[in-house]
Amino acid sequence: MKKLPSICPACQSPLNIKRLSCQKCSTEIEGLFELPALAKLSVEDQEFVVQFVRCSGSLKEMARLQKLSYPTVRNQLDNVIEQIKIPENQQ
Amino acid sequence: MTNNELKNNSQNRTLKQWLFNPFQFIAGGNALFLGLVIMLAAAFLGSLGDLHFDGVIDLHIGKPAPLWFFIAEVLIDWLCLSIVLLIAAFFVSRSSFRIIDVFGTQALARTPYLAALLVIMPKGFNRFAEYLAAKGMQQPTTITIESTDVLLFIVGIVVVLSMLVWMVALMYRAYSVSCNTKGGKAIISFIAGLIIAEILSIVSIWQLALRTGLR
Repeated sequence: MKKLPSICPACQSPLNIKRLSCQKCSTEIEGLFELPALAKLSVEDQEFVVQFVRCSGSLKEMARLQKLSYPTVRNQLDNVIEQIKIPENQQ
Repeated sequence: MTNNELKNNSQNRTLKQWLFNPFQFIAGGNALFLGLVIMLAAAFLGSLGDLHFDGVIDLHIGKPAPLWFFIAEVLIDWLCLSIVLLIAAFFVSRSSFRIIDVFGTQALARTPYLAALLVIMPKGFNRFAEYLAAKGMQQPTTITIESTDVLLFIVGIVVVLSMLVWMVALMYRAYSVSCNTKGGKAIISFIAGLIIAEILSIVSIWQLALRTGLR
């Protein structure tokens, strides 16, 4: 399955979901649905969040696995937090 | 992403990253330990050639002094910059940071000056520097210079200036990574911090020398 894009490749604006379909019964729902906050992140940031959860939220463990320094991993987390905060503030 | 994929990603590191931003990979206690070892080695080598670290970014040929004074100089330089940048980060950084990362990365950022010392330690460099100083002040001199001294001096100056630029770049990276500061605010606060720390360290080392009778 293709990866879900969150940014319009033409104008770089955030994308919304217009149509959902059930693969089993082919039911289709049409409307305008907003992407969840985590789905709006870049693929790299989403992978970071998944790894963060896998490590039970331990930045030290993430730093050890990625062989990066603790502040580098913490800065990545801060960047993700900042991106999640922006849409929240816009609402 | 699996753990194996993460490990593979972490191996894709370039020499440039290690040279100009090693703090992506090393910080905290490890950086502090390594930095302290390097600073003590620099102080010891400096004491052998009377090379004084008499300011955060200073390296001068000076008067003979006991080893403890050279150690005090490097520690004062490191502490002045770390403390000033730590205070700056409290105002500039919007995220939390660990004090050990600030002190550790700033200690490790001083590595280039150890390399600079190794280049300017040969006697020929000092001899030509003393000869130039005497000529500059129009004083009579008995110093006889050898043809290799000029070459040693020129190479030494180029290396020291390169190491100075590298060290300042590392200090900025250390500040940026350990305190999560970016952009114009980070650059301005770093430059202001470096100037304040330079003044503080020069005054502190001068006072220490005066109070202990070394000047």
